Amino acid sequence: MSDVVISARGVQKSYGSNHVLQGLDCDVGRGITGLLGPNGAGKSTFMGLILGLRPRQGGTLSVLGVDPDRSGPELRARLGYAPEHHDLPGDVQAADLVRHIAQLHGLPRRAATERASDALWQVGLGEERFRPIGTMSTGQRQRVKMAQALAHDPDLLLLDEPTDGLDPVQRDDMLALIRRVGSEFGIDILLSSHLLEEVERVCDSVVILTNGVVGHSGSLQEMGSVTAGIRVELDSDPQPLATALAAQGAETTIEGHILTVTGVDPVSDLIRDLVADLGLGLRRLEPRRTTLEDVFIEASQ
Amino acid sequence: MTEARIHDRGYLAYDGPRHSTRRAMLNLAYHTIQRVLGLKRSNWQKVLPALALLIAFIPAIVFIGIAAFLPRGEELALDSTADYYGIITGALYLFTSFVAPEAVCTDRRSGMLGLYLASPLNRDTYLMAKFAAVAILLSTMTLGPPLLMLIAFTLADAGPDGVTGWLTELGRILASGAALAVFWTALSLALSSLTSRRALASVGIFVGLLASSAVGDGLAEAAELGDSYALLDLVGLSFEAAHRIFGESDVGGPSISAVGTWEIFATLVGLIVAFGAFARWRYQRIEVAG
Repeated sequence: MSDVVISARGVQKSYGSNHVLQGLDCDVGRGITGLLGPNGAGKSTFMGLILGLRPRQGGTLSVLGVDPDRSGPELRARLGYAPEHHDLPGDVQAADLVRHIAQLHGLPRRAATERASDALWQVGLGEERFRPIGTMSTGQRQRVKMAQALAHDPDLLLLDEPTDGLDPVQRDDMLALIRRVGSEFGIDILLSSHLLEEVERVCDSVVILTNGVVGHSGSLQEMGSVTAGIRVELDSDPQPLATALAAQGAETTIEGHILTVTGVDPVSDLIRDLVADLGLGLRRLEPRRTTLEDVFIEASQ
Repeated sequence: MTEARIHDRGYLAYDGPRHSTRRAMLNLAYHTIQRVLGLKRSNWQKVLPALALLIAFIPAIVFIGIAAFLPRGEELALDSTADYYGIITGALYLFTSFVAPEAVCTDRRSGMLGLYLASPLNRDTYLMAKFAAVAILLSTMTLGPPLLMLIAFTLADAGPDGVTGWLTELGRILASGAALAVFWTALSLALSSLTSRRALASVGIFVGLLASSAVGDGLAEAAELGDSYALLDLVGLSFEAAHRIFGESDVGGPSISAVGTWEIFATLVGLIVAFGAFARWRYQRIEVAG
């Protein structure tokens, strides 16, 4: 299989006069990719185009090597999709629902029954699989959605806000499950979310959408290897040091006793000298790694 | 020797056969039939579909009993098979208004539509599967009892005369039953496509059918605007079409009886196409993701 799972070039999509995607370019590789963006950035629209639910109005889009507009049914047989909403038919047993969706994706009845059961065990609902969905908690319903997306063994899993509505413990469990699906099960995942922290925890790479275009895309590992200034932790108020650094042209931000310094190169020598001159107690001096939040804020601007 | 068991098989890839989209449509239709009939659901969900089927079949069973066990009982039976549709109007009303909306409304309300459209199905194949499911169930009511009566009367030596007569009767039953089932299915899906709320759809279809009868009759007979206005009576139109297939006319009142046969068939087919096109148009506009 190619290393590029989704390739978009100049993808456009409008609803009337609302231009939701305005020439979106990105490559989504193997592994778990986070699709980040503020509300209205075009995440759900992009998901819809990937699924072939809507025709795009411009550009090219290739998902698993095929065009969703031309080969939607064939493509969707290879995709798993867990939607954002929590509504599922309440009077249907989890096992019946998962089997039904697996059959729609082409599995024969017996295989669908076996794999529905397996998928529900894998997501931790083995004992609960014959319960009506209406009697399940939000966390369990999220797992049912995950199971129905997994049961037919998709090549690519699309997860839309999979932790929405979960409490912290359920959220941790779901993120661990997503990580397991992406690593142990070998299924590529596109995870749409607006929560930076959970994307940072489980994803290998990220695509950030802002105003219908890609603001940033790349590997989280590469992003983390880029330094963005120096963090200085003092045992006292860092304001005198910040003032001295500002006089040298550095940009500083203060959080408690921690000072983040950017804009002067080489900054560590300068800090060392100023700390000594001001007679301050230095606890820690370390390069500050670029965070997803930094990239997100920069991309959003 | 101790017995070893594997408790966690881990995740297994699937490399077995995969069926086509056509099989997915069949599966959805089958699932819809189960759901509409209330199977694997609470007993309350089974009451209305069971009642509709009972209303549709019990008169046929009574007629068969009369023909089989009473001397000269066939004289008490129907003049024409097409008259049977008038007897089961209540069943058709009940099923079309209060049972059939379950086929589509709940999918939109529960978010299942999004899951369906994320499968190899698309909006058209989804609607076709739903149409097939409702049409099959309605056919059970419009075809089942007349076919049952045909077979029973034939066995009781009270059926049509000769092979040609028998085959003609069979053909008319199949044509009229299918026409009614397709028409009422199209009507039900078109109106159900307007809302995700089953109760609202039910009331809309029920009131719509009653209103169409009142308007059609009112304009054609009370206001005397012309016989063609009787075609606005959707229930009368469908039953009249069934009668015309049997070469008769008398159900919907004097006005619709005066309308030409081809005008009636053209209106029926036109309405089926219009209802289908309207449902398709509605579903093309429903947002499920993106």
